[in-house]
Amino acid sequence: MVELAGTNGSGVLSRRKLVKGAAAGAIAAPALLHYGRIGGAQTPAPTGTVRLSGPTASPEEEELLRQVLDNFAQAYPSITVNYEPVPAEYLIKLQTDIAAGNAADVFYVKNEFSQDFMSRNTLLPIDEFMANDGVADADFYPGLINAFKWQGATYGLPKDWSPLGTCFDEQVFTDAGISAAPATWDELRTVLQTLLDTTGQPSLVIAPALDRFIMFLYQAGGNITNEGATEITLGDPATLEALDFFYGLYSDGLSTTPADSGAEWPGDALAKQLASIVFEGNWMFPFLNTNAPDLQVGVAELPAGPGGKGAPAFTNSYSIFAGSQQPEAAWVLVNYLTGNDGMALWTSLGLAMPARPGLMDAWLQQYPDRAPYAAAGEYTIAVQYGPGGQKFNDDANAVLQNLFAGQIDTAAAQQQLVEAATADITLATPSA
Amino acid sequence: MVSLARARRPRNPLAAEDNVAGWVFLLPAMIIFVLFIFGPILYIFWLSFHQWSLIEPAKPFVGLDNYRTLFSGDADFNLALRNTIWFALGVVPTQTALGLLLAVLANRKLRGKTFFRTAFYFPSISSSVVISIIFLWLYSARGLINYVLIQLGFPTPRPPWLSNPRGIIDMGLGAVGIENVSVWLAGPSVALLSIMMMNIWTTMGTMMIIFLAGVQDIPNDVYEAASLDGASRRSQFFDITVPLLRPVILFVLTLGFIGTFQVFDQIFVMTSGGPAKTTITLAYLVFQEGFGNFSMGYASAIAVVLFFIILMIYLVQRRIVGETAVR
Repeated sequence: MVELAGTNGSGVLSRRKLVKGAAAGAIAAPALLHYGRIGGAQTPAPTGTVRLSGPTASPEEEELLRQVLDNFAQAYPSITVNYEPVPAEYLIKLQTDIAAGNAADVFYVKNEFSQDFMSRNTLLPIDEFMANDGVADADFYPGLINAFKWQGATYGLPKDWSPLGTCFDEQVFTDAGISAAPATWDELRTVLQTLLDTTGQPSLVIAPALDRFIMFLYQAGGNITNEGATEITLGDPATLEALDFFYGLYSDGLSTTPADSGAEWPGDALAKQLASIVFEGNWMFPFLNTNAPDLQVGVAELPAGPGGKGAPAFTNSYSIFAGSQQPEAAWVLVNYLTGNDGMALWTSLGLAMPARPGLMDAWLQQYPDRAPYAAAGEYTIAVQYGPGGQKFNDDANAVLQNLFAGQIDTAAAQQQLVEAATADITLATPSA
Repeated sequence: MVSLARARRPRNPLAAEDNVAGWVFLLPAMIIFVLFIFGPILYIFWLSFHQWSLIEPAKPFVGLDNYRTLFSGDADFNLALRNTIWFALGVVPTQTALGLLLAVLANRKLRGKTFFRTAFYFPSISSSVVISIIFLWLYSARGLINYVLIQLGFPTPRPPWLSNPRGIIDMGLGAVGIENVSVWLAGPSVALLSIMMMNIWTTMGTMMIIFLAGVQDIPNDVYEAASLDGASRRSQFFDITVPLLRPVILFVLTLGFIGTFQVFDQIFVMTSGGPAKTTITLAYLVFQEGFGNFSMGYASAIAVVLFFIILMIYLVQRRIVGETAVR
């Protein structure tokens, strides 16, 4: 299994890294286990044609996935994989495919939508497969795999992830005499005040959107629902605290929105030097490398709030369609792609971070500056709002936009958030 | 013509063959129409009585539940209806008036009128997505519009055009000290107004072309007689052109209302319904409920309501103009 027959540049790169990983002891045991299963022929490897579908962010990413699939084809010659990338409007394509009973056997599911899919019996539970092949929950960061669990069953394995992190323009920080990224809310305010005094501009660019506000909510010790999504917890004082801090940055002129700054999104603002600090994920770096190759961007963990550290994560799972005709073969593919070999190669270009803590050390040797993102793995929570969460997302964004436009105050905003969550989110019945 | 053909039929054995040939020629278009337009429309009615999600295998019949939810104060539906009505009331009269004005001007013997006709019609034949993206740049905080405003000495609006959820009537009343007007009276948001202006610019060319056809239909001797009687240009316009164009004006108004009640692309590309949902229109809400919120049944109910709204507009227009007056 370890002999990955990559012949071009990045294949070699990943093999080198794999060897490193094996040396670190992270990879050897599961790989051997897997090898034994295939070689031992107790159960014949499933055969069949498996369709795989997912959105593509870039040509590099698509090319890389094809390489991973080539390697899979060599390891499992009895299974043919038809890769069907979706260049745009993936969620719509997926829904119509599912409705037509024509969905791919294996497809990506985003953390934000997973509860909608799981609660509607669209995905196949994979717990039995996992148990048979010795795949444990503990192999993945808990905040990630939990996003694909519903009422005790698992409906997918995270393929990669990124949390939000503090990304800052090192030159601007040096010029302003700031030695370190802010580690707490208080430090964040101080740093932003210093930057405001030095540059005369609000230097944090952040949108009034739920998927950014939620980091302050986590850091204040709050959340949308409790664990298991049985109760709305937005009514807690933590929500108001988070709203006051988030809006306070804006109303005091310390932060601004992408629209106000004239950028399309915070990464764009950083590239155009309209911002010197943004809270974004690992996905921003390919964009920065293209649009601002000379910019020196430092990464740090998000500042901790009164409730401690908190970082929202964004991830995708490989899940199996409940209507799949060959679930066994589909599982073999999922298990390979989210396994040590597949994931190590998939994350080797640095576009994505491994969802397995066991692979992180090897990955960090290649991308040491991303260590603060990795550090968030222990406490990160994949962003989820419960089934019906998309409607809540829209409603909450409207509340936050009204707050930033000065139409309502933070107390009213909290009340409206609670009302929206109560109306939109289908809570889980406490499982027996 | 029809009665002649019918009368001749028994004597002409070829007529039956003509009939068959007619149907054969119609068939491809009929099949496409029934399969991809008429069928789906009927299917929407069927869907609207179900709790229907694309991703859920179970699709139970729920009777009128979707409609009940819709009319028992669904905040999003009310917002979308309000935004759509503001949009139509702002766009339709303006684009009709401007289209008429342009048509009359383009009908004059002016230098370079072909250029102006082409220039004004050009936005109508361009893709609405392309135009939306161009306006996205124009309206951006560092876009051309703000640049010009700064050069002219105006302060730049903050939040900028497409992210300002404040109603324009609310802002106007706020300036004279009246606060907290009701949501309905707050008027379209600055963001919606920005899209409305773009829409007027895009469609007034189409309206101009329709009016141009109408204007050219008015016989020149009417104007000659009028000018011999000493009628001014102004009174010729209001007493001859406008009355004679009445059916065309009503036709353009109807087209305008139907078009504005269906506005979707611009919203999808430019704002996704934001800021603070002030640019959600009925058509966009259908999309959002169906694909974003996994409730195709509910989305269908909204689509049915939208269908009846547009049908009503059409019937009112027919009542006013009378069937015969429509060219």
